[in-house]
Amino acid sequence: MSESTVQSLSRGRTRALKNFLRQFLGHGGAQLGLLCLVLFLVMAAVPNILVGPLQTAINATGDFLASPSSQHLLGTDEVGRDVLNLVVHGARISLTIALLATVISLIVGTTVGMTAGYFGRWVDDWLMRLTDFFFVMPSFVLALVITPVVLEVMGRGGEILGFRPSLFVIIVVIGMTSWAFVARIVRSQTLSLRERTFIDRARVAGSSNLSIMVRHILPNLVPQIAANGALVVAGAIYVETSLSFLGLGDPLQPSWGTLLSLAQSAGAASAGAWWYLGAPGLCVLTVSLSFVLIGNALDDTFNPRRRVIP
Amino acid sequence: MTHRIGQILIRAIVTLLMVAILNFILFRIVPGDPARLLLAGARTAVTAKQIEAQRQRWGLDRPLIPDQVVDYLSATLHGDLGFSFKFRGRYVADLILERLPATIVLVGLAQFIAILCGVVLGLYAGWRRGGAIDQIATGASLALYSTPSFWVGMLLVVVFSTALGWLPGYGVYSPGATIGFFDGLLDHLRHLALPVAAVALGLIGQYVVVARAAMSDVVTEDYMVTARAKGLTNGQMLVRHAFRNAMLPVVTLVTLNLGYVVAGAITVEAVFAWPGIGGLTVEALNARDYPVLQGIFLLLGASIVIANLMADLAYGLLDPRVRK
Repeated sequence: MSESTVQSLSRGRTRALKNFLRQFLGHGGAQLGLLCLVLFLVMAAVPNILVGPLQTAINATGDFLASPSSQHLLGTDEVGRDVLNLVVHGARISLTIALLATVISLIVGTTVGMTAGYFGRWVDDWLMRLTDFFFVMPSFVLALVITPVVLEVMGRGGEILGFRPSLFVIIVVIGMTSWAFVARIVRSQTLSLRERTFIDRARVAGSSNLSIMVRHILPNLVPQIAANGALVVAGAIYVETSLSFLGLGDPLQPSWGTLLSLAQSAGAASAGAWWYLGAPGLCVLTVSLSFVLIGNALDDTFNPRRRVIP
Repeated sequence: MTHRIGQILIRAIVTLLMVAILNFILFRIVPGDPARLLLAGARTAVTAKQIEAQRQRWGLDRPLIPDQVVDYLSATLHGDLGFSFKFRGRYVADLILERLPATIVLVGLAQFIAILCGVVLGLYAGWRRGGAIDQIATGASLALYSTPSFWVGMLLVVVFSTALGWLPGYGVYSPGATIGFFDGLLDHLRHLALPVAAVALGLIGQYVVVARAAMSDVVTEDYMVTARAKGLTNGQMLVRHAFRNAMLPVVTLVTLNLGYVVAGAITVEAVFAWPGIGGLTVEALNARDYPVLQGIFLLLGASIVIANLMADLAYGLLDPRVRK
């Protein structure tokens, strides 16, 4: 390849990227979603700077179930902890679980879908049968029965990379049960990519199957994976919140779902403590809506056919 | 057609088989002697003889594959799901059947209301794309779609039960009251209102999104332009062409959705202390009552598979192109 072709290639890529960014960022939903997301990512990154260390029953500073005041902007919980403090620290837990689970789900889904689509025949048959099972069974239902058993086997003690093992179990279980949707989309895309001439050219040039998949097919799948990845995050947040609400979270590292579970067992709803159950729920709603909006905007940008419909 | 139905049936059976096998694996992974675990829920003190009987019964001395798996599957097929750990001496199948009606009432009513409101609103929004109603409905349903139903339930309790005092926030009946049939029914309906609303609101969001998308796709089709060119009025176009075609994806979603509806109802039941499958799930989770948990998993799996079966068959009936 001569130098000028390389330059024009990279210039073409830059232009495509600029085009994409212009369209994506011009999307009202994407702007709103990104704005909210940045806010929550900052919270998750530096909770200690924003609200100090996580409060526990021992170093709680307020009254029991006190309504919002200038001292406690979002009121306090049943042992006097500041709800704002809990919610900001919860952002780190909830977002970490959702994002890591999504990474696992995308890796498994892409691998399965790409392998099935590329090799076809019996590989495709068997992998798709497996995918069908995970597609039909909701991640939440599977996680509901798998998580408690794995927790019992693993035990709840110790820490892995600063996170409690029970959170890791939830991450892995959600990730391993929510990939089917990605696998199906990746497979159908791979089926059409496989027939393109540039794949034949790579094969003639002596590339191995693995190298064709990684270097030629995978880059072309990025748009689909990105758009659906955003939706997978929203789904993961939903599942994590529901599981934690049913008591599978870790009270020592409370996510938003765990906070809702604590609020429920403290009788916050019948005590009228709207701030206690309102704050974590609103966070779940905002973050999950942001990812849905971003996902839709990405889909619109990558998929010109659907852009006709407002 | 028969070939297609055969394939659908085989897929359903394979899925159910995988659910049962997952149950089997999970029960064997739990630390502890399976024979003791199986007897953990029996009412009487466990003797060595009983443990031996369980070993015989489940073939625990024989190889794991295929003997034990086959035994387990055949027991499951006969409705033998073992004893509950928490409710000592009770069969899991009995416990689940006891709790099922409360969940069916809750989910059935919520599903009915959600279909009525969600589908109508969604179809209308798709028909009049970009209008005021469309914008409000789309925004609201996206928000509802991203909200866990149980949180909606908690908010409803705060507003309608605690603050306004209009409706009861938990339970099925007012305790202690001896009242006639009619008053009793009214009391039950008042208890149903908030949990049904919580489940229904989440579903409405979903149905609006799908019905709107389906209608939007139909409106841009060529046959709609033809219909207009023929001089059909808006109403005629809607009834004869748009409605029928837009209903296809909606019917599929509503049927396929059953598993998610029941799953969502589990958390909502936890909020309202509703004595259904969800309530049972929470109790089983807290007590680590694995047999009950696996029984519920089997029930959910079966209902999801049946729903899928119905969706596939309904699709064949509704869409002549699939029938071939």
